[in-house]
Amino acid sequence: MLNHSADRTARLQRVIVVSLIGLALGFLVVVQLRSQAVVARTLAAQDDTSVALLINDLNRANNQLIQQAAALSQQETQLRQALTAGGADAQAISKELQTLRAVTGGVPVHGPGLQIRIMGPIMDFELQDLLNSLRTAGGEAFSLNGSRMIGSTPIVSQRNTLMIGGHAVSAPLVLLVIGDPEQLEPAADLSASSLQTRVQVDIQRKSDLTITEVISARPLIYAQLGR
Amino acid sequence: MTVLASVSLATFLVTGLAATQFRSQPLASSNRLARDEALRQSVNQLEDQNRALKARVQALQNEVKAREDESARRSSAVQQVKALLDEQRAIAGLTALHGPGLTIQLRDGVDPNDPADRSLGWTIHYQDLQDIVSLLWASGAEAVTVNGQRVVPTTSFHYAGVNILINNANRLTGPYTVTALGDPSTLANGVGDPDQLAELKSRNRIYRLGLSWLRSTRLSVPAYDATFLVKNAQPLG
Repeated sequence: MLNHSADRTARLQRVIVVSLIGLALGFLVVVQLRSQAVVARTLAAQDDTSVALLINDLNRANNQLIQQAAALSQQETQLRQALTAGGADAQAISKELQTLRAVTGGVPVHGPGLQIRIMGPIMDFELQDLLNSLRTAGGEAFSLNGSRMIGSTPIVSQRNTLMIGGHAVSAPLVLLVIGDPEQLEPAADLSASSLQTRVQVDIQRKSDLTITEVISARPLIYAQLGR
Repeated sequence: MTVLASVSLATFLVTGLAATQFRSQPLASSNRLARDEALRQSVNQLEDQNRALKARVQALQNEVKAREDESARRSSAVQQVKALLDEQRAIAGLTALHGPGLTIQLRDGVDPNDPADRSLGWTIHYQDLQDIVSLLWASGAEAVTVNGQRVVPTTSFHYAGVNILINNANRLTGPYTVTALGDPSTLANGVGDPDQLAELKSRNRIYRLGLSWLRSTRLSVPAYDATFLVKNAQPLG
């Protein structure tokens, strides 16, 4: 009798546990579908053109991420092989250092790209738009009238004067951008088409541009490493 | 055992039914709606892939860093280069940072529903965010994020239709939070200067964009969630 009662209790406990698991699983499915629906609702408010443009940008970004992953994988293999052989690959580490210096504007660089001459004054937002388009199209290094520019270079208009990193620049503006000309040119053409209603813009492909100007790294005074 | 299986199946089905119903409601019958649904489904899939690829890139970055640390332990020459590399990583935004700074918040305002006002001044545009970021750099910011996305040397802001995108097609949606590390007073003075962000501040008064800023003694910014590929720009010499 006692055994029978214990059996029933154990069985009841199993039923409760299993129903709780089932409930939790069902709840998880609903939560997941709901969160997808929130994203879909945001997208649902958009026109097809916006969604198509977003797909285009996502495809491009994903391709770039695939290339980044391949490059990192190759780098890791190179470093690992040197370690396995009992040494250390100083060259691979130096190469990465040079890449980062090129990205942060710390070293002079050269390579193919475009020279864009803008024959009249433009506003800060017009230059920002041009730089945004060229960066999205793979622009790797920039200079304007002898000033190197990276993402943290302040670009502002003060009383109709264009200021780059605190320095006034005036027309004609000569923008040098290093990157794949095939990719850069359509982006430059598109930006130029809106500028050309006011000012003359001349775009030329160059097989080897040189940007000699560098940016001094801003020292970290307030920021510290780590989260 | 049969009872157990029945109970779990029934519970799962009951809760699952809600999901099925929830999901089946927006299904459309016409081709146009089906195409719209397919387009949006593509976005969801590509964004999932984007997240997975970033996670892969970050994992590989950690592996590379571990090999470099090991290499530095074996060679003093490598150790010196590694120290310079770590410094460059911090400058480039590949390292998480913390410190004092300023947080700026803003959001889309109220649509006036005024046929005479077609300016869309009540919405936040990518140019607004880029102007704030540019002002923060000019005010001495040492690191900046927008909605948690680190602004790095290659960052671009742009529209894809109505979507504001930053870095690797990260879609920004309001409310928007811009975080900057640096001297909180200098940063706040820069943003508070009436001559700066004048157009945005004017729209803030009209459309209630909720523009506000707050000094903090400790903020943190994440590292950039990808890396840099340089294929064309070669160092001189």
